[in-house]
Amino acid sequence: MSFRDLVGFAIGALRGHRLRSGLSLLGVAIGVASVILLTSVGEGARLYVTGEFATLGSNLLIVFPGKTETTGISPFLTEAPHALTLEDAEAILHHVRSARRVAPIVFGVAAARVGDRRRDVGVIGTTSEFLGVRQIRLRSGRYLPAGELARGQRVCVIGSKVQSELFGSRNPLGEILHLGEERFRVIGVTAPRGLSIGQDLDEIVHVPVSRGMKLFNKISLFRILVEISSHQEIPAARRNALELLKERHEGFEDVTIWTQDSVLATFSRVLSLLTAALGGIAAISLTVAGVGIMNVMLVSVSERRREIGLLKAIGVMPRQVVSAFLVEAALLSTAGGALGLAAALGATRLMRTMYPSFPARPPFWVVPAALSVSIGVGLLFGALPARRASRLDPVAALARR
Amino acid sequence: MPRDFWKLAWESIAAHPLRSALTTLGIVIGVASVILLTSLGEGTRRSLVSEFSQFGTNLITIHRGKTTTAGIPGAVGGTIRKLTLGDAEALRRVPGVDALVPVAFGSARVEFGERGRDVVVYGVTSEVPKVWRFAVGGGRFLPRGDPARASSFAVLGPRLKRELFGEANALGEHVKIGGRRFSVIGVMASKGQVFGFDMDDTAYIAVASAHSLFNTEDLLEIDVLFSLGASGDSVKEGIREALIRRHGGEEDFTVRTQAESLDVLNRVLSVVTAAVGGIGAISLLVGAIGILTMMWIAVGERTAEIGLLKALGATRGQIARLFLLEAALLSVVGGGVGVAVGMGLGALIRLAIPAISVHTAPGFIAAALAVSLAVGLGSGVLPARRASRLDPIEALRAE
Repeated sequence: MSFRDLVGFAIGALRGHRLRSGLSLLGVAIGVASVILLTSVGEGARLYVTGEFATLGSNLLIVFPGKTETTGISPFLTEAPHALTLEDAEAILHHVRSARRVAPIVFGVAAARVGDRRRDVGVIGTTSEFLGVRQIRLRSGRYLPAGELARGQRVCVIGSKVQSELFGSRNPLGEILHLGEERFRVIGVTAPRGLSIGQDLDEIVHVPVSRGMKLFNKISLFRILVEISSHQEIPAARRNALELLKERHEGFEDVTIWTQDSVLATFSRVLSLLTAALGGIAAISLTVAGVGIMNVMLVSVSERRREIGLLKAIGVMPRQVVSAFLVEAALLSTAGGALGLAAALGATRLMRTMYPSFPARPPFWVVPAALSVSIGVGLLFGALPARRASRLDPVAALARR
Repeated sequence: MPRDFWKLAWESIAAHPLRSALTTLGIVIGVASVILLTSLGEGTRRSLVSEFSQFGTNLITIHRGKTTTAGIPGAVGGTIRKLTLGDAEALRRVPGVDALVPVAFGSARVEFGERGRDVVVYGVTSEVPKVWRFAVGGGRFLPRGDPARASSFAVLGPRLKRELFGEANALGEHVKIGGRRFSVIGVMASKGQVFGFDMDDTAYIAVASAHSLFNTEDLLEIDVLFSLGASGDSVKEGIREALIRRHGGEEDFTVRTQAESLDVLNRVLSVVTAAVGGIGAISLLVGAIGILTMMWIAVGERTAEIGLLKALGATRGQIARLFLLEAALLSVVGGGVGVAVGMGLGALIRLAIPAISVHTAPGFIAAALAVSLAVGLGSGVLPARRASRLDPIEALRAE
């Protein structure tokens, strides 16, 4: 029997029991579709986070005050004996050669008030460099002024949501905004951007850094963002900055410096692991579908005893009988896999149209993997029925009704 | 008659042992994976809840900043008004308040001789062992005194002590924390990780010392222990009113009872468990399709038998019930075995990796059995209808 004969034989057998074949196929389809959908959502989350970090600007070093030996603790909360100061930020800009832009940041929450409208807002105290480092666009007005003297000015740039909630449709430029007890003149409004790494930049008020430190009564910066001129320079720049700060802090290495790459790699790893775990759980259903195929094939073997007996009586080799049943099982599962693949691809496309900001997309390896796994499922679970068929004694098979 | 039903259904299942076993296996795998996954989820929930409850249930935490959502208030710091030691002391006068700890927090290098280690340093008061239920392993905790006054006493977590001193005695020795001299008066008993914070790798100093070390006047939080007789809600309300008065009429802080925090935690983890269990349940669906397929095949094979039953006067309802019973038997047996397999795997995991907590709630078992019964009945409906609608004459002729 040629391969074409085998396939023809198998298709004939499958078409003889459409419902039965359809149901076995459906099992595989559900399994494959759920694995692909879950991994697509996971991959989408990974791409989303990666994309979010890209908006931070490339080649970034992030300097935090404080350092701990134990991992898993977030340096966000800590205070350290040596404050991370504006002078530290200046020093990085002047002494780390590849540092192109340095944006010091203090952050806090304050009660904002315009007239009698009030709400709590996040306040970022920073310098004019922040605009370039975080790639912020303005809707109107201008950003915080550059230069040393400007750092204490009582001016602010507000997010688009702050504008709409506190000023309504009025033009906010030149108006006064109260933060706590202090008055700030609004000089700019940022363009809407939405969530970025958990921070809604539209709900933020930017003020000059020294003003921000006074407002929150802080002597330490929350972090320093350092933009490095080229990607190759990052490791050296990180080392230089660490040494510089250690020197400035009386020999204490009490800062943590993250490179954007390392943060990204960590996130990527965690999300990939999560995706694999969810995909693995969904893949359990593929096993169940395989068991279903095996069962149907066993039934089919026992129904077709006479047919098998006849084949063997006319000299078909046991190996060919095995191939015939394996092809049948593989056809079932591959068709199911293809169906599941198509359904999942359609569903992810639908997801992308409904939530354009969330890039749900199957990882590149998923399509070949899904197809080969579904063929594998058929071959694996078809093996037992096929062996059983090949071992039938032709005389007994034909003699029994 | 019911006995005949059971007998007939059982006989037709037993007539094809391999086929029946495989059909059941689908359900077994499905139920086992759902049971295992939800047990893992429930185990995690319980271990987190017990981590929480080790601090006691009559605890109230006050953070800076007002949040209504489940986030961590004050995490990044800086509303207009801070929480101060004055605030903490004022809370002692609120009825029902038994003890309280103002907490300052920072990271600093702790040095002894040549050895040094960067750790989290807590600025607290003498009442930590009582409020947090932390036990002192050796020596004693920080002495009682005016919280506004700094002292040069330090208490080390056991891991920090081991890293700096090895097996040697630490009590009475001097360490440097952030460059300042402190004398070690106590070592805590081991506590392990609490929410990812290694509570053993820390140092405790007086809150005023921490304030001067970190050059701040701010508190990370205030932990209040209320007396067992008092109601958490009324103490919470008292704290709220007292702080609002001190903060010039503004509610720029968050007061949360342990019960509320637990509630949030429980809700989040239950959702996660349900989601993971749901993904596992996809295999149950596939298993149900397997039952449907096999029952469909069985109806086809037993056309003659059904025709005979009908010719003998069996009603359509009876035929349908017979096949439904068979499907339900297959899947309920699968469900039972699945529960056993899932729990067995859970027990194995617990033996192999004791750190992972596995707990199968009785509710899950009942739900799994109910679902598998429903799966059997659901997937038996179509084949049963097909069987009951066979025309006896045609069916007999098919022979």
